[in-house]
Amino acid sequence: MAHPSQLGFQDAASPVMEELLHFHDHALMIVLLISTLVLYIIVAMVSTKLTNKYILDSQEIEIVWTVLPAVILILIALPSLRILYLMDEINDPHLTIKAMGHQWYWSYEYTDYEDLGFDSYMVPTQDLVPGQFRLLETDHRMVVPVESPIRVLVSAEDVLHSWAVPSLGVKMDAVPGRLNQTAFIASRPGVFYGQCSEICGANHSFMPIVVEAVPLEHFEKWSTMMLEDA
Amino acid sequence: MSLAKPAMRGLLGKRLRFHLPIAFALSLVAAAAFKYGVTEPRKQAYADFYKQYDTTKEFNNMREAGVFESVRPTGK
Repeated sequence: MAHPSQLGFQDAASPVMEELLHFHDHALMIVLLISTLVLYIIVAMVSTKLTNKYILDSQEIEIVWTVLPAVILILIALPSLRILYLMDEINDPHLTIKAMGHQWYWSYEYTDYEDLGFDSYMVPTQDLVPGQFRLLETDHRMVVPVESPIRVLVSAEDVLHSWAVPSLGVKMDAVPGRLNQTAFIASRPGVFYGQCSEICGANHSFMPIVVEAVPLEHFEKWSTMMLEDA
Repeated sequence: MSLAKPAMRGLLGKRLRFHLPIAFALSLVAAAAFKYGVTEPRKQAYADFYKQYDTTKEFNNMREAGVFESVRPTGK
């Protein structure tokens, strides 16, 4: 989850998010390069006593400031496309989960083997126990096996929502009448938080997502227990 | 007795020829500083973290700390 005074991304918990982090660093480096250049030039142009400052034409500088931006754009585009295709690779998921957005909660369905489904409501602030996070905890978490490719089919029952978990590098719009697919691998066990990312009414800020990644044997015990309780 | 004629042309070009290389050099230095100060350490930090990462050990530590809801600490 995010922490106070955080400036950057949350720590990556999936391989795709790690790639996105490194790409962001690369793009930010290029932004810093251009910004430093432009700032220096602005200061140099403003702090001069020269009165005739305007070049009328110069073939050399025109070539430079056409070719250089094109090269920079290619340097950004190549890693970007690499990640785009990486995210779309055939990923042969071990498990498929449906995440349905409602006003104002998520529901999860694990229907690969048995019919397991449950709702996931935010824990109200007055019901939190010490150690829990305000506006982020839910009564039932989406439990997944760690280090396994998981496919999530996202849709909505009423209005637009969006299922997002920043540390897993996942965000997918939940559109009523449409099934959107996304996938992730949790690289390590833990609890990963997200929030609805498409305005959906009064309680849009109060329908969080919590993904709990545990080893497979514990995931199997949990799903058996949930089926018995249902 | 007569003074040398001062430069009256090419003043902007002279200024640009002085400042533009410095501008490019500074921006490359800034980019290199970011690359070797932020980007590479971050990549190395992730590589080092996962090199020694013991999933079972970390899971058990988190379990005993009561982090999970699907798995209670042993003894509970």
